[in-house]
Amino acid sequence: MLWKRQIPILIVAVIGSITLFGWFINEPNIKSFVDDDATQWFDILASFAIFLGGFNLLKMQLQKIFRRQRGWQYSIFAIAGFFLAITAGFFYKGNPDVAWGTHVTADGTLFKWIFTYMFAPLQATMFALLAFFVASASYRAFRIRNFEATLLLVSGIIIMIGRVPLGSFISSWFILYLLVLIGGITVNSFFKNKQYTAIFVIVGIIVVTAAGSSLGWPLDQPGILYLPYLQEWIYKYPNVAGARSIMMGIGMGIFATSIRYILGIEKSYIGE
Amino acid sequence: MKFLTDLILKMGTVDRRWIFLVIALVVIIPLFFPLGLPIRATATTQYVYDTIDALPHGSKVLVSCEYGPSTKPEIHPMVLSVMRHLFKNKHKVYVTCLWPDGQFLASDALNLVARDEYGLTYGEDYVLLGFRPGNEAVVKGIVSDLRKLYTIDAKGTKITEIPMMEGVNRFEDFDFLFSASAGYPGTIEWVQYAVDPTNVPMSTGTTSIQVNDVMPYVSAGQIQGILAGMPGAAEYEALIGVPGIGTSGMDAQSIAHLVIVLFIVLGNIGYFIERNRSKKY
Amino acid sequence: MNDRDFIIGAGGVTFSFLIYWFMGHPFFIIERIVMFIAIMTFTGTLLFFIRKARRGEEIFLREIPGLKAVEEAVGRSTEMGKPVLFVPGIMDMDQVETVAGVIVLGHVSKMTARYETTLNVPVSRAIVMKAAQDVCKESYLMEGRPDMFHEDMVHYLTDEQFAYAAGVNGIMVREKPAACMYMGKFYAESLILAETGNSIGAIQIAGTASQAQIPFFVTACDYTLIGEEFFAASAYLSQRPELIGGIKGQDMIKIIIIGMIIGGVVLRFLHDGGMIDFNILEFLTVR
Repeated sequence: MLWKRQIPILIVAVIGSITLFGWFINEPNIKSFVDDDATQWFDILASFAIFLGGFNLLKMQLQKIFRRQRGWQYSIFAIAGFFLAITAGFFYKGNPDVAWGTHVTADGTLFKWIFTYMFAPLQATMFALLAFFVASASYRAFRIRNFEATLLLVSGIIIMIGRVPLGSFISSWFILYLLVLIGGITVNSFFKNKQYTAIFVIVGIIVVTAAGSSLGWPLDQPGILYLPYLQEWIYKYPNVAGARSIMMGIGMGIFATSIRYILGIEKSYIGE
Repeated sequence: MKFLTDLILKMGTVDRRWIFLVIALVVIIPLFFPLGLPIRATATTQYVYDTIDALPHGSKVLVSCEYGPSTKPEIHPMVLSVMRHLFKNKHKVYVTCLWPDGQFLASDALNLVARDEYGLTYGEDYVLLGFRPGNEAVVKGIVSDLRKLYTIDAKGTKITEIPMMEGVNRFEDFDFLFSASAGYPGTIEWVQYAVDPTNVPMSTGTTSIQVNDVMPYVSAGQIQGILAGMPGAAEYEALIGVPGIGTSGMDAQSIAHLVIVLFIVLGNIGYFIERNRSKKY
Repeated sequence: MNDRDFIIGAGGVTFSFLIYWFMGHPFFIIERIVMFIAIMTFTGTLLFFIRKARRGEEIFLREIPGLKAVEEAVGRSTEMGKPVLFVPGIMDMDQVETVAGVIVLGHVSKMTARYETTLNVPVSRAIVMKAAQDVCKESYLMEGRPDMFHEDMVHYLTDEQFAYAAGVNGIMVREKPAACMYMGKFYAESLILAETGNSIGAIQIAGTASQAQIPFFVTACDYTLIGEEFFAASAYLSQRPELIGGIKGQDMIKIIIIGMIIGGVVLRFLHDGGMIDFNILEFLTVR
């Protein structure tokens, strides 16, 4: 019981307190522990723990093959890939002129070949899936259900179009015309009167056209409706404000959770 | 009219694979038939350019590559452009990597730009220090004692035998940092553990999705500008006058964004038609 | 610990620190005193409300739909005879979010033990695998169903981000879990996981403090725990008074910080206007 309960809690409390309060102490050994050793101890533990993960993976895949479970043929690829990587990393360089260690990035080695022609394309492919998933998620989820959803939708469209070169070509006057049409739809939904709607839209179009003609149709004026300027403003002000507040909240959550671990109030990580 | 509304409603329930096909086409076609849309630099990209341009000749610049093959299309073009800018202005470039993948890509970038384009000498004009495990501990190690962390470079040469490493012992010995970052550890760790305590100026290039996280630091002045994703890379290529992968990708990205917006608009039209019909009945 | 012991302990620590301070505070980095005072104040606030909750005071915790839905999701899986998939993020146990995710796993595994539902937990790090196995084992033991626990319910896939996403996607498409829970630290693979889960018709509950991924989860999942809500999950699911008191303490700290921000803005405004010499920014800047 002592090993499974009290000692882990004591380790967390002591090491946690040292790393927390060590930041305020200008003593070389403590600074060295806080800045270097503490994180390196964890990295060393995690590096050795990879054996646990590796053996678990092998065990699961081999079980699948021996029991001929559904999809067992794919497990052969998993195990072959596992041993290929170990071979390339530890046993076979492929380029005898290169030293062990630097062989992972040197030209002509099996490891570099695996990285360039297998790992990199596979990783790029998986990341590329995001383009498709973003499109299908946007299509499904962005609906004008309420004010907040509308705000999200409009700002998303402004950023998406304003951020790319195409956005620089969309004149502010085009946006003004769009706003007149949207205003017309709003007037129609409030008053439900076709005459009012028609008057609003016609007057709006005339005003915008007159203003544009008199100013010579400058692409980026009025600046408030030029998408690249608008997207920059959204990035710099509302976005940063929201990001900062969420960051503070998350920071608070991390602080409170960490203090609970250090003080032994939260013990769920040992299963209690 | 009924035919049109029915068609829009039908599109609202379309199998997502049709959407995938349309996206695939709008991305592939502009890559083969570029539109040549001109690229205008935004204020944040211009700030990065101006900051790097203002560095005195022969400055020691640390370039940190923390990205992998998945984010190569966004980050690699900016690394190439920044390196071209740095070498053009005759700065000394020291490359380090907080991600293991970053070392491969940094090596490719240096071979292409420093070795092949500019014909520079390894060890005198540029050096690849390489990857070290430890996440933010590496950043702290570079700040306190770089030579304790890097005893050899990525090619196995001792640091003491590399001419341009003379006088470089810690982070403060660098004049500027550029972090090309796709996540953790990356830009934020550099700001927190290196730049803030030492006041060495820094700019960064990140993926588009990370800009949200990094922008508060840019607004606070802790980072001098940011290259935001592939658009940022394309803008920097336009500023240095050497178009590359970033520029060629922008046409595809422009059209793809437009198509996604059209999908969203169509989806909402369908939603309103559906809502009106259910209210009617 | 009763009130008397706590007050004696806290008083002793404060007194020792005061002695250390007036003896010249050797080794203390004086530039960081503001941060030290902030940490002590916030910790004290937390402890105050934790002790208040332990004494039996009722503390209101607003409803978090995502956490209410966890039991519904497990129930749905039980009815459909399908497994529950739990993804504790892709980072290691050195991230607080991963630890919070493993804690939520403990509660979810209690439910799966109670309802006799299959639980599948693919992990990305070996240490997380061990921690998650221990947590699940303990949960099944506490529910009196040790026979239902087997170590392979928590299994390691790979450290590599997108290989892990591909592996989890494969599990989703093959096993078609009725409930998918994503609780931990995520990066770009978040949307890949959530969209695949959506395509198989699973109910999805996500919880993360990764700012950039929250929008993707909000778009693709049925329920999302945003930032602090995720850290409050342990308190909410266990209903333990000390944890709920901690949440209340967090809210009080937020009020203190809001007050400091408003006060700081006013002081800075006065400084910039030349009315006062005191520069709040210099005072608060920590090096």
